[in-house]
Amino acid sequence: MAFLEVTDLVKDFGGVVANNHVSFQIDQGEIIGLIGPNGAGKTTLFNCIVGYHKPDSGKVIFKGKEITGFKPFMTNREGIGRTFQIMKVTAGMTVLENVMVGAFCRADDRNLAKVEAAAILGFMGLDSLKTHHLNELPIAAQKKIGLARAIATQPELLMLDEVASGLNPKETEEMVDLLKKIHKEKKITLFLIEHVMEVVMPISQRVIVLDGGEKIAEGLPKDIVKNERVIKAYLGEKYAKGI
Amino acid sequence: MIVLDALLQGILMGLLFALVALGLTIIFGMMDIVNFAHGEFLMIGMYTTYWTSLLLHIDPLITLPASAIVGMLLGLASYYWLVRYLLRGPMIAQLFGTFGLMLFLRYLAQFLFGTDYRIIQKGLLVGKTLALGPFMLDWTKLSSAILSLLAFLLVYYLLHRTKLGKALRATALNREAANYMGIKTERMNALAWMIGGGTVGIAGGLIVNFWYVYPTVGLLFVMIAFASVAMGGFGSIKGAFFAGILIGMIEMLFPMLGQVVGSDFLGPHFKFTVVYFAYFIIVVLRPQGLFGWKH
Amino acid sequence: METLRDAFDFRDFSKPEKVGFAIFTLFLLVFPWLGAGSFVKAVAIQFLLFSLFGMGWNTIGGYGGQVELGKAQYVGIGAYTVALMMVWWKIPFWVSMPIGVLIAIGYSFIIGYPLFRLKGHYFAIATICTSLVLQDIFINWKLVGAAKGIELPIHEHPDFLYMQFKSDTYYFYFIMVLFYVAIFYMNWFRKSKLGYQLRMIKEDEEAAESLGIDARWCKIKAYSIASAFVAVGGGFLAVYNLYIDPYSVMDLDLSIKIALMSMLGGAGSMWGPIIGSAFLVPLDRFLGSWLGAQKGLIGVDFMIYSALIMIVSAYQPRGIWGIIEQFRKK
Repeated sequence: MAFLEVTDLVKDFGGVVANNHVSFQIDQGEIIGLIGPNGAGKTTLFNCIVGYHKPDSGKVIFKGKEITGFKPFMTNREGIGRTFQIMKVTAGMTVLENVMVGAFCRADDRNLAKVEAAAILGFMGLDSLKTHHLNELPIAAQKKIGLARAIATQPELLMLDEVASGLNPKETEEMVDLLKKIHKEKKITLFLIEHVMEVVMPISQRVIVLDGGEKIAEGLPKDIVKNERVIKAYLGEKYAKGI
Repeated sequence: MIVLDALLQGILMGLLFALVALGLTIIFGMMDIVNFAHGEFLMIGMYTTYWTSLLLHIDPLITLPASAIVGMLLGLASYYWLVRYLLRGPMIAQLFGTFGLMLFLRYLAQFLFGTDYRIIQKGLLVGKTLALGPFMLDWTKLSSAILSLLAFLLVYYLLHRTKLGKALRATALNREAANYMGIKTERMNALAWMIGGGTVGIAGGLIVNFWYVYPTVGLLFVMIAFASVAMGGFGSIKGAFFAGILIGMIEMLFPMLGQVVGSDFLGPHFKFTVVYFAYFIIVVLRPQGLFGWKH
Repeated sequence: METLRDAFDFRDFSKPEKVGFAIFTLFLLVFPWLGAGSFVKAVAIQFLLFSLFGMGWNTIGGYGGQVELGKAQYVGIGAYTVALMMVWWKIPFWVSMPIGVLIAIGYSFIIGYPLFRLKGHYFAIATICTSLVLQDIFINWKLVGAAKGIELPIHEHPDFLYMQFKSDTYYFYFIMVLFYVAIFYMNWFRKSKLGYQLRMIKEDEEAAESLGIDARWCKIKAYSIASAFVAVGGGFLAVYNLYIDPYSVMDLDLSIKIALMSMLGGAGSMWGPIIGSAFLVPLDRFLGSWLGAQKGLIGVDFMIYSALIMIVSAYQPRGIWGIIEQFRKK
């Protein structure tokens, strides 16, 4: 049984078919990358899975249970966590409190949540930032905290929305290492939407490519980079023919 | 027959409600701010026509422009001295900001004019009725409704056929893009408030011919305006028009419901309660209203 | 119990705050013996009552960030339940008050369910609507006294069963007890799971949902808590004034004042509602009585508040507490 199964997903925004019969599967423990040019429908697909949008037709099945159309808080409780590409930066809660909210998903007791949150921050190397506020921190730190928060909900599948956007090369490298660590030590399946190839290609075991609302390719990273359709989608016909 | 009469009265009144709602929906469509002081703008429009016609011994229909001008200035002043700053803050601040304005104007009026109920007593059309077939129509209401319709058409023309109007609508649709096109969005904001204030000022000047003015009269009308705007769709001008008329009709017909059903409880005293209730139902069940635009 | 420990644990407040609060408590304890006149005592009682109202509002309006302007309907429910039960069936306060709270909570769930489908301005307006509808119903409902209201029969003083006293001192300590219960409750609340979840909803509702929080349900819960608080205050009003009508306990102006106290003092902070109340209630009463005495100056006091509201909204939406915090950071 596949861990996450998306079957024939269709999402139509009244004229623009963002997702046109997309199907794929993920097995537990994998790291899957989702790439494609801008406007390919990646974000829409992402949102249909986590529940921000309701698909017009098709199914999403997680751990054998159908979760199509489940609201975001419901998909989270089923075990799917997510990060945001752009985080609303606010000053009302400290970093620790932010992560505690995530921990509260699985714990009712505040002290327990606090311990959990502190542990996760320690795991991610963010101890020193506990009492800071999000608006005081640079983007790289914010992203990591978004990750910490999501992980605190103890997801089995973590969906990352362009987690590397806005990071410089060094920060990107750190992020890749962090993701590997999360995958290995926390045993969380990762599903990443990415534009930054330096992140997707090294760590993904499989890559899915979307273009114009459809899945145009799926396979190992080293095969995807040579795939004619993929190259055409990104760089146009000229370059596709050249290889 | 009584039903038709009520319906007709409802349409006349509804045209005025529509005009009141127009200003509110324009401001909302423009910058997502609900002007809680809208009813007070109306109240000031009412007082303006009342006092100018009384003190200058001129017919209230002629002093109407005074209400329009005062309304426009009020809208402009509100924007420049208050709303501009509110826009930068969180929603709670915006809500309370216009709320504060509402209270301020209300008590200012109380301070200046006292709590007495006033209504236009002297005028060309006051007290005269027109016999139209089997119906007896007050000339004041009829003329107000007609002028209200004209005002509506004027604003519609302004917004859809002039360059300025198009710029305004463009800003309402997509502020950023309008900015890139060289439209001075700050000015558009101010313009929206000016039109909003002006139209409701006119409405006030018309209403005071047959409705008593007192410092707290604004609350009732602003709630009616909210219901109209919600029903018609926040930001939709067409919506404000039809919803206003619809509410005018509901308002007139509801008291009859009590008579028909034979219930003492359902009666004219719940005329406006129905409107508040209607707002709630509409906004929960169909947030985009009839002509849904923003929600 | 963990809950009680949380309620009484003020350790995470700063030293000046703790000291200030202690001094304040001492002051309140001895206040009735300081020889203040009946007018001042009445103002003090109002201050505590509005702090109670404000703290209630603060759960949903401050911590939750949902500006609701219909709290008065729950004041009314509390007040009318106590009053009617006493007038019709001679039921003591200590029985009718909890019932009033239960009714308020029940009603809040019924209204809250559709209400919290809305957000922002639409939500605020809808809360006004529900309050106006209830008020209109009460104004016309002969069974509950309609516009004339209800007069509570006077019992022998002092009466602890029906909570009727001749001297304001009793009422003062009574409201003070309620006030402190509210404070301990709020202290627990802000540290509770719901408190954290609400704050997250206020910061970023979308993120909150992604962390497993059912935002709508949380808001409804907070709204009910707020309604319960406020209903208790309503019950107090009934036995304090011995007269209630839809205009005094269900009015929109009351709803606005309640929200205002919190907002001015600092919505979303522990002390905000109290500070706001401390500022506005005396201002309201003293200004009102002074200006009311000079004929022709009616309404000037309200003009001053509303100007205040506008200024605070434009420049420091986080209220007086926000200003204090800004100074502390420097």
